[in-house]
Amino acid sequence: MDILIYGIVNSFSLALMAIGFTLVYGISRLPNFAHGAIYVITGFGVWWFIHKLHLNYALSIILALVLMGLIGAGVYRFVLIRVRGMATSEIIATYALGLAILEFLRWRGFKGMTYTLPVFIEGSIQIAGVPIDLQRIIVIGIGIVVISFMWLFTHYNKTGLALRGMAQDEHAAMMLGIDSDWMALIAMAIGSILSGLSAVVLLPLGNIVVEAGYNVLILSIAVCIVGGLGSWGGAILAAFMIGFVQILTVRYIQSHFHMVVALLAIILTLILRPSGLFGRQKELEERV
Amino acid sequence: MKKKWFVVWMVAFFVSLTITTLFSSEKASAQGKPIVIGSPLATAFLYGWDAERAIKLAVEEINAKGGVTVGKEKRPFKVEVMDTRDLEPGVPVSDALLVVEKLILEKNADFIVGGPVRSEAALAAMDLLSKYKKVSILTTGVLTPAYHKRIEAEYDKFKYCFRISGEVGWMVTGEFIPCLMGIKEKFGLNKLFIMVQDVAHARAGGDLVAKLAGEKGWEIVGKEVYPTGTTDYSVGLLKAKDGKAQVILIWMDMPETAILLKQWYDMKIPALPFGTIIAAAEQPGFWKATEGKGEYCMASVVNAGNAPSNATPWTMKFVEAYQKKYGLEPEGYGTSSSYMAVYVLKDAIERAGKLDSDAIVDALEKTDLMGVYGRIRFNPKNHQIIPSVDPNEGAVGTIFQWQAGKRVVVFPPKIAMGEIKLPPWMKK
Repeated sequence: MDILIYGIVNSFSLALMAIGFTLVYGISRLPNFAHGAIYVITGFGVWWFIHKLHLNYALSIILALVLMGLIGAGVYRFVLIRVRGMATSEIIATYALGLAILEFLRWRGFKGMTYTLPVFIEGSIQIAGVPIDLQRIIVIGIGIVVISFMWLFTHYNKTGLALRGMAQDEHAAMMLGIDSDWMALIAMAIGSILSGLSAVVLLPLGNIVVEAGYNVLILSIAVCIVGGLGSWGGAILAAFMIGFVQILTVRYIQSHFHMVVALLAIILTLILRPSGLFGRQKELEERV
Repeated sequence: MKKKWFVVWMVAFFVSLTITTLFSSEKASAQGKPIVIGSPLATAFLYGWDAERAIKLAVEEINAKGGVTVGKEKRPFKVEVMDTRDLEPGVPVSDALLVVEKLILEKNADFIVGGPVRSEAALAAMDLLSKYKKVSILTTGVLTPAYHKRIEAEYDKFKYCFRISGEVGWMVTGEFIPCLMGIKEKFGLNKLFIMVQDVAHARAGGDLVAKLAGEKGWEIVGKEVYPTGTTDYSVGLLKAKDGKAQVILIWMDMPETAILLKQWYDMKIPALPFGTIIAAAEQPGFWKATEGKGEYCMASVVNAGNAPSNATPWTMKFVEAYQKKYGLEPEGYGTSSSYMAVYVLKDAIERAGKLDSDAIVDALEKTDLMGVYGRIRFNPKNHQIIPSVDPNEGAVGTIFQWQAGKRVVVFPPKIAMGEIKLPPWMKK
């Protein structure tokens, strides 16, 4: 039973971490390697608003998420727009930006275990004899809400439909009057907000450390590669696969191999099915 | 007109430059040439930044009293700190070695005090220190017995290396096992679950505790090894609960261990957390960081003075001086030992009367002074500080327990300030 409960929690955690990354890639084909850095600055941002500006928790979260949206849009408008279409340059630019943000935070003294966010609701419950804290239940709840919202948004909202159109065929979408750069900017903003949202939900389970930025990036990449770059359904399925395998590994093998699962999943996917479970990069598969 | 003003400005500039140079050189000669202490430390982590602060505090105190007497000359200490990043996941050992070499070659360090902090990096740095014949005093991190065993095995090569802080062998046999036996005797607990970080000192320490505790009647119900940077311990904690563990022995130096304690509290795991090395719980800010969820967690801070106690007359003086300068109590392992290392170095330099490495090695081997954490002496064969549970005999350690927001020293008995308590959900 503990495997089922903690497997679901872990899977939703991974899905929340990765959904922003896969959204940006799916729509604008931009690999946002600053994704982990945005996750971390959201945590520090909320902490800053609460402890330095003495704002209440909910307002701090909203402000931080709005700020992340603006940062995401700014990154596209002032950095990525200039290198769009050059895959290597996009990776280098976003990765460098992420590194710069994380190392800047470290340099400014954001280190140690003193930076924490309060849980939304204190306490724990027992499910079939397995103890679980309420924040983890909230992770599942918010995971379901976010996934449902993103599905509804991209199926029933005009902007969401335009984003889907871009993801399916950018040139055809442009012929229909959809502004490619504007959509990519929106995708970056939403992707950053989603990254921030995952931080807000997951960081109360632990503490805010700069190193989390690297872990979140690796896990997001793993989920997206296994699911198929740009495929949201694939990403969610991959999050569940990796999430459960990680918990089974910790339960029956060793905690030591927890992170290895994600890395191994990347390698195996690239060898056996380069386009991932639901990826649309058939040309890559054909080449292999 | 413009030309005239240009000449006036140029003259003024050169006059001010000359005056500044003259005054600064006069000041330097009045204080003597600084003795440079190079400190390679993982400054983003507790064992790095607390060492840096303590070294700077000692240097400031010594310089304020006139500096170090080298022969007939008074010379100040100067500290050069460089970040080794060796406690960060994924950073190769070679990076720490580059830092040590930079301190020696670019910063012209006369001595190395502090790290590298990670055992693997410190062991690798020994050859470098031997190559440049630089006297080094390890003060933080590095707990592996391999360090002093290597010095003993190849004394002539590694005689420049000293360690003024603890090592796993003594900590386990002299402190952790006796403390565990005290818990067994007092509360009747005998089931142990071990959680360690995937680094050399923690793996070795965990294995040694398991072996010795097993021999002393403890049942080892499980062992988990976590990679550096782990942020979820829930399944491991459930394993401990399923195995009916009564004490969870934790050996981790990463800040994420605060998460482990929060999860332990949220899941109400009925086992006493005993952090033999647990960087997060050592710090005064731990209580606030865990919102009090870390209560009852025990932690070793390796040397006395890293938490308030009356081990020696100097202990509380140090605690108060640190608190006055940095606004909080000494933070954990590496604080008092780094502070003492500077005083021990001063003492050795003054006795040697020169900075020559071989003379300093001889002087350090003859060190015998009452410090912050007891009597400071080095074993002349392996340059490891001589430990004890009595501060009058040697360097004493400290194990404390978080009780009502305070770090209460519970071991060794000679310096204990309180008794070990069990969390309410463990009481029958």
